[in-house]
Amino acid sequence: MMNLAVVLPVLAVLIGIRFAKPSMLGWVTAWWLAAWVVLDFGFAVPVPKTVVKEFMGIISLALAAYVTSDPQRWREVREPTTAFLTERKFLPLLVLVTLAIPAAVAASIYFDMTAPAQAPIFGRTVHPAPPATLTVHEVTHDMQTLDNPYRKLEASDPAAFAVHVEAGRKIYYENCFYCHGDLMQGGGMFAHALNPIPTNFQDSGTIAMLQESFLFWRVSKGGPGLPEEGGPWMSAMPAWENFLTEEEIWEVILFLYDFTEQRPRALHVASGGEGH
Amino acid sequence: MKKSYILIALVVLLAGAGVVSELATFMDGRLAYESPQAIDHEAPTPRELALQEQAAEATKEAQEQPYVEEKYREFPVIGSRVAVWMAAQLHLLFAAFVLAVPIFALIIELIGYKTGDKRYDDLAYEFTKLLSTAFSFTATLGALLTFLLIALYPHFMNYLMHVFSPTFLPYVLLFFLEAVFLYSYYYGWHAFSKRVHLCLGLGLNLVGTAIMFIANAWLTFMMTPAGVAASGARISTWEAVTNYTWMPINIHRMIANVAFGGSVAAAYAAFQFLKAKTPEERAHYDWMGYIGNFVAIAALLPLPFAGYWLASEIYAFSQTMGLTMMGGAFSWLFIIQAILIGNLFLAANYYLWLGMGRIEGAERFRSYIKYLLIVITGCFLVWATPRSILATVDEVQAMGGSSHPALGFLGVMSAKNTAVNILILTTYISFLLYRRSGRIPTVKWAKAGNAVQFAIFALAATTVLFFGIYGYFVEAAVRIKFSVPQVGSVLAAMILVTVIDIFLLRGAKETETRWGQISNTSQYVLIFLAVTFTWLMGLMGYVRSGLRQHWHVYGVIRDTSPDAFTPTLGFATKVVSVTVLIFFAFLGVVFWLASLGGKHGKPEVAVEALDGGDV
Amino acid sequence: MQIPVPLKVAILTIAATGFYTYVGQLVPQKEVHPPEVVEMSSDLSTADLVEIGEGIMSGKGLCFTCHTVGKSGALRFPDLDGVAIRAGSRRPGYDELTYLAESLYHPDVFIVEGFSAGMPQISKPPIGLTDDEIRAVIAYLQTLGGQATMTMDTVVPFSAAAPDGPLSAASEAVDDGTATGSDEAEVEGAA
Repeated sequence: MMNLAVVLPVLAVLIGIRFAKPSMLGWVTAWWLAAWVVLDFGFAVPVPKTVVKEFMGIISLALAAYVTSDPQRWREVREPTTAFLTERKFLPLLVLVTLAIPAAVAASIYFDMTAPAQAPIFGRTVHPAPPATLTVHEVTHDMQTLDNPYRKLEASDPAAFAVHVEAGRKIYYENCFYCHGDLMQGGGMFAHALNPIPTNFQDSGTIAMLQESFLFWRVSKGGPGLPEEGGPWMSAMPAWENFLTEEEIWEVILFLYDFTEQRPRALHVASGGEGH
Repeated sequence: MKKSYILIALVVLLAGAGVVSELATFMDGRLAYESPQAIDHEAPTPRELALQEQAAEATKEAQEQPYVEEKYREFPVIGSRVAVWMAAQLHLLFAAFVLAVPIFALIIELIGYKTGDKRYDDLAYEFTKLLSTAFSFTATLGALLTFLLIALYPHFMNYLMHVFSPTFLPYVLLFFLEAVFLYSYYYGWHAFSKRVHLCLGLGLNLVGTAIMFIANAWLTFMMTPAGVAASGARISTWEAVTNYTWMPINIHRMIANVAFGGSVAAAYAAFQFLKAKTPEERAHYDWMGYIGNFVAIAALLPLPFAGYWLASEIYAFSQTMGLTMMGGAFSWLFIIQAILIGNLFLAANYYLWLGMGRIEGAERFRSYIKYLLIVITGCFLVWATPRSILATVDEVQAMGGSSHPALGFLGVMSAKNTAVNILILTTYISFLLYRRSGRIPTVKWAKAGNAVQFAIFALAATTVLFFGIYGYFVEAAVRIKFSVPQVGSVLAAMILVTVIDIFLLRGAKETETRWGQISNTSQYVLIFLAVTFTWLMGLMGYVRSGLRQHWHVYGVIRDTSPDAFTPTLGFATKVVSVTVLIFFAFLGVVFWLASLGGKHGKPEVAVEALDGGDV
Repeated sequence: MQIPVPLKVAILTIAATGFYTYVGQLVPQKEVHPPEVVEMSSDLSTADLVEIGEGIMSGKGLCFTCHTVGKSGALRFPDLDGVAIRAGSRRPGYDELTYLAESLYHPDVFIVEGFSAGMPQISKPPIGLTDDEIRAVIAYLQTLGGQATMTMDTVVPFSAAAPDGPLSAASEAVDDGTATGSDEAEVEGAA
């Protein structure tokens, strides 16, 4: 959760300050910087800038309250500041600071204005809910019970299973690899023109999370068959039921798991929708 | 030189003559060579005939038009909604002040009467002095609001009359009584016997509260209607009055009024302190500001609980309305509210810490301030953490959604309830330290008493934290019930500790309180507190009213005016700010008038007795 | 140079007010307009209904204030992802259509386990969807895990057009199931 490479050094510095006993001004500056560094860089997942700003505002207020709530502390901050602003020996530094402030403002405006335009955010579901029933080649399947007909051969007849996997290999390299790539990493020759990019089957978060019936649905119906919810999809995947037979689809699914050395999610584990 | 003056004068004269003649001919407009009438006076031209005909027709049409009742009328430039909004808010702010000041003026007067300490009596009188002008402002603004409502929302006002007609006459009568009580309370301060005078004050408070309760019935009915049929037809006015949110709003407003009134009175004192010339004046106004602020903070502490009750009643009335408030269109408003309340708590604590400077022997508590500040800041941060964060596309992708994996835990109700409760507890400790800093207990069991007090605080804080953390592991239905033990333990701790403290400090050795020896910064803090309180009232007034969205009466009477939409929060905050600034401008006038009255024969406040004064 | 106190106080007041106004500008700025009446002609296709329904869900119906689609974890209200799969089997004797219709017209009669009651009657104010708008919402809900079958001719149970025939059992359940049952029926009759 926290980025220890940042948090631990900050802690070390703060503990060091505890013993070094700097002036009040140094102490406040150190704490302010420490808070900022931890907020902005200390989290494994970066904290959004808006929240960093809000929190730093509150922390600045609190530090200001701390310093000014006691005449002694306030003097310790005010005196060096006054000295810095008035004494002759600080003049070059003062000039530098005076120039740096407008420069910083200008820079921040420049970077705000020249930030590249970003597309608006769409809340896209990674794995949309499949329909209850699925009709492929005029046969209607119940998605709750649908399973790969060849999967049971894996245990009962490994030789026949290997034949089907081999058929799947042929189908994959004739149809799928243009987009999904020869290593199934989603990096095929067409992949760069597509958005969203083709799925990376090697990623353990994709097909290993799914039942084979889900793959059967996605392969047979493709991009056009995606449900309205969670869209817009803009997936370029064709509906393969128009090009492949049902058997061929099951075979290519076998090959996907075989090649990536992954196992499909068991049929009954995630059958109900109640878990949602 | 002289010649040139004459020349200029001549030129100006000439130009003047030219202008005058130009104007004369322009206004005359009947130069013979320009006017067609000069040519023929006899027969009317076809154009004239047509014009006559048109005029006749227009008259006829005007005579024959049917009477159509207007549903809405337009207010120029700012629109009807904003006009009513600002008038209502201003009326409410003055009303809050006028209702609140008698509450604590009476209590202070009573303390003066019981203890025989004259300076309390004088202070109560000084608070009351602010009332009379404010009362006329309240009434005038109330009239403005009423006229605006009748003029701009005639149809809807007619409907409200249908439901609430029996309540209007009592309201007006009570208003008369209020005036009688208020002026007799103020002008009769030194005329009546103290007991009679206290009774007048009690009457003033009772009547004021009754007025507020009636007015609250109207607006709470609009939010959570009861006692009417689905069509809007009245079934029972009494049920319409005692609707879901009536009592919660009554209580919430009463407490909030006291907090607001106290802080405005404190701001008045702060202003006088800053202008003060003599140490006596400074001492007096420092003390007055302290008391005003004490009243405000004492009322602020239970306020979140009253607010919680109100919110839960809104949920009980309509889940839709509750969710619009906390999760829908208004959810971001509560982040702004968190920042305001965080500021209030921070500033209130800060004032107490600054105040330790005027007490001898407060140095021993100085080192605690750091830890109190850390806790307050932590709670402030938690409370101001938004549930769904504003972020850029990259940030959202990095977070994998609109809530942050770590900060997401702080954005939920469990964390926020915990933060508020700890915040209240900490502010109370701050106050306790302040109270302690001037006194050294002499009772034998002082050590044990301190230990018990500490144990109670620790227990309350542990309870709050336990339920806060446990809340993450249970279902929502169970979780929302956790706020009860949280609130209960904090309230119980505050009451218990106060009781122990009263006995603990009985006969305590008091050190000197150097009233008036406080930095000017502290006085600006008091003014800042008053502005923040006022702004917060404006903001919360907006959400209470805005929650109805496109309904006049929620779920019963639709708002079909062009103003039926809910404006952006940015717009709402601008309206609130303008209203607050107008209020403070008016307040300046009120205080100025009050100071005029006191100028001759100003009661020389018993400053000699001021040292060591405390509540 | 000494700044007079009233001026200082005025500056402080304006600065504090200005700061809060600034905070008000930093939060998301959204204007919420009152719901518009959806014109629904009788020749709308199922796909049209689905589209209108989705619009109502996120707009006038305020559904997504509470409900989510495709979210898991600690939920305060049921997630609607795949609701069409569950709708037909949740309650004995209820088909998908009846279940969905009941959950909109009489949401308090059946509460999904683990959640508490609290959903308002969608057919009543303040949300107050018309029968046809509820028809569109059901059409959209059917697409969440299933296929929309709703047409403009489908008789939606619990709606004003529903006959007291095969569904009377369900309506009776409404009447004796909750304390407010009879009250609701009365208002419905008046409306």
